Amino acid sequence: MLDLIIVGSSASGASAGIWAARRNLNFKIIALDTEGEVALSGEVSNYPGIIETNGFDLAKKFKEHLDYYKANIQIDSEVKEIKKEGDIFIVSGVQLGKNFEEKSKTVILATGSKPKHLNVPGEKEFYHKGVSYCTVCDGPLFKDKVVATIGGGNSALESALMLSALAKKVYLINKNPKFKGEEMLIEKIKKMPNVEIINGALAQEIKGGNFVEKLIYKDKSGELNELSIDGIFVHIGMLPNGQMAPQNVKKNDLGEIEINTKCETSLSGFFAAGDVANVPYKQIAIATGQGACAALSAISYLNSH
Amino acid sequence: MTQQKKIKIYSTPSCVYCKMAKEFFNQNNIQFENVDVSANHEAAEEMIKKSGQMGVPVIEIDGQMVIGFDKERIVELLDLKK
Repeated sequence: MLDLIIVGSSASGASAGIWAARRNLNFKIIALDTEGEVALSGEVSNYPGIIETNGFDLAKKFKEHLDYYKANIQIDSEVKEIKKEGDIFIVSGVQLGKNFEEKSKTVILATGSKPKHLNVPGEKEFYHKGVSYCTVCDGPLFKDKVVATIGGGNSALESALMLSALAKKVYLINKNPKFKGEEMLIEKIKKMPNVEIINGALAQEIKGGNFVEKLIYKDKSGELNELSIDGIFVHIGMLPNGQMAPQNVKKNDLGEIEINTKCETSLSGFFAAGDVANVPYKQIAIATGQGACAALSAISYLNSH
Repeated sequence: MTQQKKIKIYSTPSCVYCKMAKEFFNQNNIQFENVDVSANHEAAEEMIKKSGQMGVPVIEIDGQMVIGFDKERIVELLDLKK
């Protein structure tokens, strides 16, 4: 019987794993991959101790640290369900087409989040036909083209910055009157001659033939406007990946797992950390701290049960 | 000895899933041709025509197209054991 299963191996999961390893817990990490959303971040310049890096390299560092402690990591694994029977948790899912099931005394859910969709007509039809949720992945395909980034946080600002170096023109479309992201990024964007900022604009529809051709948005006066574009990068926030949590684990209206300051959830022995939880700020540095906290709480639980 | 299937990966330098796919091939000693579609416009057009979409990576295995780093499909096409 495992002491602990950590679901997810990005910032919070890896951190939990390091703490669990150093306490010689009998544990396992079960994850889709060891990259997570961290790896999809472009430039990362706010992780303490590292002046500048990128998401992919930072994710690699987390993995190296886990490998140093010979952490048991089961990848390519999608956890579909977590149940509690008596005092035992049963974690089940699929790994490369084959079902698996593991049991443990405690679980830390560190599954992070996934990109939010606009939910406008044309979005699904044009996915990868001009619509993308990953500028780092697909941005370079839009060299010398006209693109739009939709969003107002750091992700959107970083997207627009990356695209400004590649594309002919970038529209940065934000539904709010102001950006929510870091001032340093906003200042950099304002200096880019090929970036046009459109605040107070709400995307309505995506149109095209075989590929994206137009974005329709409503401006702050309520009028419909049309942009001729080749690509749309959606960076409007994230949705928590908490669907596999036991049914009686309390979540908030956003679907985030509710945790206390010890990363404890409403279910004894079940902990959550990072972006899947109701942490007010979604940052890599916060996620790693949360992972450590969840691990220490799990250890405390194991010592008293 | 079974001849290795011909593998071509259409990728961009900053694409994370492309890096993951290449690492996977390297770890399994599988040879592949990497095509940087950010630098080669003709290759980008070829990729879009073959796959009908613009997302990377696109991995061509003996003419079969795999869109994204779909490890399950890749393992199946290459007949790799876990």
